[in-house]
Amino acid sequence: MREQPETILNSRDELMSSFRDPQADFRSQEAEGGCGVIGLASSKPIKGKYLLTPCSQMCNRGNGKGGGVAVVGCFPKFPNHYAVQVGYLDLDARKEIEQKYIFPNFDVTGIEQQSYLEDYRDLPRLEIEPPRVVRYFSRVKESILSKFAEEHGFKDILAAEDEFVFQNSFRLNKEFYGNRDDKKSFVLSHGRNMMILKAVGYAEDIAQYYQLEDMEANVWIGHQRYPTRGRVWHPGGAHPFSGLDEALVHNGDFANYFGVVEYLRQRNYFPLFMTDTEVAVYLFDLYNRVYGYPLEYVIEALAPTTERDFTKLPIEKQSVYRAIQRSHLHASPDGPWFFIVARNDVKTQTMQLIGITDTSMLRPQVFALQEGERSIGVIASEKQAIDALLSDIAKDDPSVCPVADRYWNARGGSYNDGGAFVFSVKDSELTSTDKFGREVKIQVSRGKVQESELPHAIRSTQYDLTESPLTVFDRMTLGSGYPALSHWSMDEIDALVHDRVALAKTAASKRSTVIELLTVLHDRRYDPGAKKRSAIIARLNVALDEVFRSVTPIGLEDTSSGDRLIGWNDRTAINPPPSLPPFATDRTVGGITPPLSKTEAGKQGVLFIDCAGFEPQGEDSAGRLIVNAYQLGWRKFVVFACRGDRFIGCGLGAETDGIRIDVYGSSGDYLGSGLDGGEIHVHGDAQDQVGQILKRGKLIIHGMVGQTFLYGAKGGVAYVMGNAAGRPLINAVGSIRTIINGTALDYAAESFMAGATTGGGFLIINGISFNEEGSIVPLIDRYPGGNFFSLASGGAGYINDPDWTLGYDQLNGGEIVGFEEADWNVIEPYLKENEELFGIKVSDLLNGHVPNQAYRKVVPERSGEVKNLDAHT
Amino acid sequence: MTISELSLAETLPIANKVSKWWVARSDACTHCTICVDVCPTGAHTAGEGFVRMPQPKSELCIGPNCRSDGRNCVTECPADALRVESNQSYEVLGDPRWPADLLNATWHEAEYGVAPRNGLEYRIGRSGGGFDRLRFKVEDNLAVIPEQGLAEAYQHALAEVDMHLPLNRRQDEAEAITIDTPWYGGGMSYGSISLSVMLARASAAQRLGYFTSTGEGGYPIELSRYKDNVITQVATGLFGVREETLQWARIIEIKYAQGAKPGLGGHLLADKVTRDVAEVREAVEHTNLFSPFPFHSVYSVEDHKKHVDWLKSINPRAVISVKVSTPDDVDMVAVGSYYAGAHIIHLDGGYGGTGAAPDIAKKNIAMPIEYAITKAHKFLEKEGIRDQVTLMASGGLRTPYDVAKAIALGADGAIIGTAELVAVECVRCSNCESGRGCPKGIATTDAGLTPIIGSHWGGQRIVNMYSAWLGELALLLRSMGLHSIGELRGRTDLLRYIKE
Repeated sequence: MREQPETILNSRDELMSSFRDPQADFRSQEAEGGCGVIGLASSKPIKGKYLLTPCSQMCNRGNGKGGGVAVVGCFPKFPNHYAVQVGYLDLDARKEIEQKYIFPNFDVTGIEQQSYLEDYRDLPRLEIEPPRVVRYFSRVKESILSKFAEEHGFKDILAAEDEFVFQNSFRLNKEFYGNRDDKKSFVLSHGRNMMILKAVGYAEDIAQYYQLEDMEANVWIGHQRYPTRGRVWHPGGAHPFSGLDEALVHNGDFANYFGVVEYLRQRNYFPLFMTDTEVAVYLFDLYNRVYGYPLEYVIEALAPTTERDFTKLPIEKQSVYRAIQRSHLHASPDGPWFFIVARNDVKTQTMQLIGITDTSMLRPQVFALQEGERSIGVIASEKQAIDALLSDIAKDDPSVCPVADRYWNARGGSYNDGGAFVFSVKDSELTSTDKFGREVKIQVSRGKVQESELPHAIRSTQYDLTESPLTVFDRMTLGSGYPALSHWSMDEIDALVHDRVALAKTAASKRSTVIELLTVLHDRRYDPGAKKRSAIIARLNVALDEVFRSVTPIGLEDTSSGDRLIGWNDRTAINPPPSLPPFATDRTVGGITPPLSKTEAGKQGVLFIDCAGFEPQGEDSAGRLIVNAYQLGWRKFVVFACRGDRFIGCGLGAETDGIRIDVYGSSGDYLGSGLDGGEIHVHGDAQDQVGQILKRGKLIIHGMVGQTFLYGAKGGVAYVMGNAAGRPLINAVGSIRTIINGTALDYAAESFMAGATTGGGFLIINGISFNEEGSIVPLIDRYPGGNFFSLASGGAGYINDPDWTLGYDQLNGGEIVGFEEADWNVIEPYLKENEELFGIKVSDLLNGHVPNQAYRKVVPERSGEVKNLDAHT
Repeated sequence: MTISELSLAETLPIANKVSKWWVARSDACTHCTICVDVCPTGAHTAGEGFVRMPQPKSELCIGPNCRSDGRNCVTECPADALRVESNQSYEVLGDPRWPADLLNATWHEAEYGVAPRNGLEYRIGRSGGGFDRLRFKVEDNLAVIPEQGLAEAYQHALAEVDMHLPLNRRQDEAEAITIDTPWYGGGMSYGSISLSVMLARASAAQRLGYFTSTGEGGYPIELSRYKDNVITQVATGLFGVREETLQWARIIEIKYAQGAKPGLGGHLLADKVTRDVAEVREAVEHTNLFSPFPFHSVYSVEDHKKHVDWLKSINPRAVISVKVSTPDDVDMVAVGSYYAGAHIIHLDGGYGGTGAAPDIAKKNIAMPIEYAITKAHKFLEKEGIRDQVTLMASGGLRTPYDVAKAIALGADGAIIGTAELVAVECVRCSNCESGRGCPKGIATTDAGLTPIIGSHWGGQRIVNMYSAWLGELALLLRSMGLHSIGELRGRTDLLRYIKE
């Protein structure tokens, strides 16, 4: 039977009595900021070294004042022993601690000292020495346990043992860490088959210091902390934190920290480390271990389902959730937060990685899944961290593809996924489920054909090179003239790619055609047949980088082409484009761009920028190099091998017509923010804050886009092939025109102020996704969130919604009005361009409907006067 | 500030002043001229070859206690023909923060370039709290300088006291900007104030060597004439923020919150969104414009760092200022902003703000600025980074004495808003947001109202007011034995609290 929660909580009465002092200062809190987080679950054990690259690529999300690593599945030899890990800041305390807290209470089966670098200063960013960690594989002594159980009336001896371990560590922390200035020692973790290591430093430093590179485990978390204050830091405040068998890291902070602390105090939980992460893990522990809730209810208590999403839940679920909310709503963390939990679910012998987002999705979060010989689930703050992780793993394990099969965002507190996903590893199988336990499966194309049955594709050398790459692509995907791509074997694709790359490397004149073909194969959706799309993409990524890197380096003579390649090592050799007379180099910031005639621009070569090695921001960033090159006269850029490089296309100044930037790899935040003319094409997914204050020009994203897309945009045109995360077009004014072919998660076009409701700015949501065959599939909810067009004062929202899935309850100050011919005249040209860019056919979007059946129009409420004005002009 | 620069002040007297006292002469007057002899301020004059005594000049009267010997025109009038009473119109002017005396004193400064010595209280208001409860210990013993000699006294004091304020204290890529006054102008948007008032503010900033801020309503092209002295503000609505205007600026100010209304956004009514306003904000004429709270791209300090990095990516030379209100963890905010790369931390307390902020918000949400300054200053010191960052305070700083008090509490300098509007004759009616806007032609974009203020006239009045401030500050500092404004920072020992 399950132990009564009261028994567990009341057993702490005496221990916690000192905290009951009403004068006790529980209000001092260490302010927490954002952070960079990555979590990884693998069906087969995986080495710790893979955390290094993604963590170091997110070090700009931390400030080196706290890093941590959690590992689950690391002690298979001791699956049922509590791995009590004591971090000694002062080794002199060891004897005392062992004699007081370890040996009298535990039968210790094994003692291990975590290995570490002899001299921590070998890692120059470690400012202070990390704690020495000693691990005691322990079970509570029978005599001690039975006394404890009896004294407090425990019926479940296992629950008593858990609680004893919890209290023992709390006592230790209180005495040797809690309220003392000379912090001597603390328990890092005490869960089974798991551990936490943390220190003042960056996560990758922690992994290196403790020599985790070659350690193997199924679940890993790396965390970069960004605490706001404090000259003196202690590792105890770093993440992850632990309740019992879990480790929790956190990005964000709560507005109701004190409220949550008070709630926990009433339940005999008292924080010692004064951070909201500690508080969050106590909530998790309370719901999970003490109240015994299933994971779904734990998540509901943390991130409640509210508003419209609540009403969309099945009735039975509503009644359970209502009860949960009634009891726990006031402890639900309020504010921007994203939790990643790694845990060992001892009862079911399952290792889990869980990502939970707050209801408003205010922190960045990306999930990814790859299925195969080694299945991998990843959760991170940035997609680029996931890509870095997978590509590092793929280097050592050829069965792993450097591109995940699927990337997605959770929609916080929602009825469709619950805002949380769980990767569970058991018996070397990885399953991935949403909050409600529904499995996320990578679908395989219906047209799956055995390789042996495939006809041989025509050798790629037989393609008619006079045809445009798009025509070739169309023929390949339709199978007109050649066998369709879906029937090609991977080897044949490899052969094609190889052949094209060779051609581009030998003939510079063919380079742009080859790049275009490889790019369209990379960007577009089509039926890959039995092959995985991710595998094709991975090959194309490699091929494209190879072509790019074959370009003549900057500074070298080459009369055959104006294209040049520049990278980290020769970045200072930047000079004006060769095919043009050099511009005066005094084009100071804020000055006027020398106008470039069309023919001049046409003749000009492309500057290929290899982003490897650049800093993601600042003086040594690729973004800054683009600005310098632009001032020297370059107008066309291919920016590749991005790894979260921020501010690409920022700082170019006014009137940048004629510029074109093609971005490959994992681009970073604020891409194209402030662009005033020209085009940026992102070949893949884009990050957060893309196109902020966009003024003019065009942004084309061949994938998803992150949070606050086009915030405060003034004009220009933007096309997104996939979804936008939360809050796209918020506060946009003027005449911005946008098509999002997927959907937006929440708060789309809030405070939209884009003028006339017909002919002003607009947002089109097509509400589609693609199936594995590359065909369009309408989303069940064309727009799943709330606050669509809320508090808007101008412009229009058009939603492809023939089945009227969008309800009035999703608007907040907007109204649905008739879609008229004038509207179609406004949007049709954009849908046509959308078709050209992404191959999403207007006829497929209409799907047999006439435009005013397919599209619905949302305008600001009470904009009747404006509408009349429109009618007259 | 050199002596020659101070001569920028130029007398701009106006005809019909609101007088504090009402002096009346009845028909019983025998025209004996005794009152002319008794009056120390010249309120009673008898011109050459007068026949009848003219009506007294009430605006010159300093009240019945004008003489140390207890005599005055009323007591001395043999015909009992004179009355001196407080002016009832004057009584209703202003509010506790900006009482009639302070308004009149500021107008006096704007007109003459010197602080009044006619009994008007020009140093504090009557709010009963905040800076009005603080005095410099030395104040009671300050030498009395008659108004005639004041301009010269200012010049001498200024020659001895260094008023320069460095704004960038980090050794980094950004420009090392130093301004000539220990303050600069706060953000007021185009739309909330008229273009001519913006130009007046900017021209004054240029002439005296400090900065003024665009506020969040964009950057009117006319203002770019003064771009070396204009701060481009990046606020939550991002109106009119574009790369060009960010690259013009030597200082970029990120406005996260306003002390008068922390946690609240803004709303510019469609009526005020004229064609010109819409153009500058890159919006559409006659639509309601909203500024959200908060910045939707910044929900944490790590986002904030990224946000600062973004602005640096557009203009690497710009000095970055971060304007925040004063929550109870203002110290943490200040430190976090510093580590994110800010050069200036601008704390905006709850006393200031526009007439348009909701009454319930004003003074009721943000922490009083005098507490916030001290809290942030001490914490930055403890953190060991105090000298790498410039701490600016704003929110109801009205006088040179307020500026000095803010600095003595731990700020490096002050940011001034309302006082500049008072200098151009704002009467504090608090109707900024209503109807066509301000009856004085300040807080309006109405084509019929804006011509009331000319930018040259307005600029000169602001120059005059600040000339008086500089002089007053220099006199005060010198009297305390200080040789630079920097030496005053954190000298709370020079202050005392008035219990009353």
